[in-house]
Amino acid sequence: MSKIKIVTNILQTNDEITLKNRRLLDEKGIYVINLMSSPGSGKTSLLERIIAKLKNDINIAVIEGDIYTTKDAMRIEAQGVPVVQINTGGACHLDGQMIKDALNTLTLDNIDLLVIENVGNLVCPAEFEIGENIKICVLSTTEGNDKPSKYPLMFEKSGAIILNKIDLIDYTDFDKKEFYKDIKSLNANADIFETSCSKNQGIDAVCVWLLSKIKNKKVKRK
Amino acid sequence: MHEVSIIQSVIKIVLEKAIECNLTKVNKVSLKIGELSGVMPECLNFAFKIGIMDTMLEGSTLEIEKVSAVAQCIDCKQEFPIDHFNKLCPCCNKFCSNIIRGYELYVNTIEGD
Repeated sequence: MSKIKIVTNILQTNDEITLKNRRLLDEKGIYVINLMSSPGSGKTSLLERIIAKLKNDINIAVIEGDIYTTKDAMRIEAQGVPVVQINTGGACHLDGQMIKDALNTLTLDNIDLLVIENVGNLVCPAEFEIGENIKICVLSTTEGNDKPSKYPLMFEKSGAIILNKIDLIDYTDFDKKEFYKDIKSLNANADIFETSCSKNQGIDAVCVWLLSKIKNKKVKRK
Repeated sequence: MHEVSIIQSVIKIVLEKAIECNLTKVNKVSLKIGELSGVMPECLNFAFKIGIMDTMLEGSTLEIEKVSAVAQCIDCKQEFPIDHFNKLCPCCNKFCSNIIRGYELYVNTIEGD
């Protein structure tokens, strides 16, 4: 009998594809966001607000991930930016191969920002890299402040956390102090923003921050 | 996590390596799973039992070594155990995001004839 040392990453297939995605996007100088949250937190609404604000200054493209329907892609298309819809047909997250296929259908030249809106789910999307520069997680006040402690991985891996539906906070028992405490212990370096997409509040701060990230990537590339 | 698809990947990796090493039978597969990876060992065992049927791995055992989560302070270089909610360096009392162990997910060794 022989013992053989393998030391092979179980997710190597996804990681290899993701690395290729990443290289292609780096080559084109595109800043990539993996946008994640529960269903209904406001990912698409946030995206609509950001696009409306930034589309005259930068070129944006979007990949929409959903289990079924093209509803979100239609909302983004109405904003006048290129969008590709991925329907996973049941899978609860996007993976490297799906993004690779979607990238093949997009014209990547001159794109500054690519937003990949993941399937609404607080669990699995956090576990699969897809070639992004940053993970951004949206949490809405109506979901409750206990979500970061109940679903730690997503909040731990996100570079920015957006607390949405802030206009509704007085109608909920959302405890902002507890929320900030939990995020601090999970991921003290995350940037946190408070927004209301329906009232168009707090979007400017997100856009300013985003523009600086995009600029940084371009500077590094040069 | 996705324990069934993870086991499918494990079986694929093991079979490729076993064929490369001219094995005809695999007796044991050892995995290293980090405690922050979100993978449940119980589910892996179940999926493994089903997945290895009618393969060279049939009858083999699955060994899962859990890897504790450890961070290393960027400032004082101290290594210390962490969990999701406690990542403060015991020396500097500063938040540390330099996690060096705990997200592992790999096939470590196989044994066979």
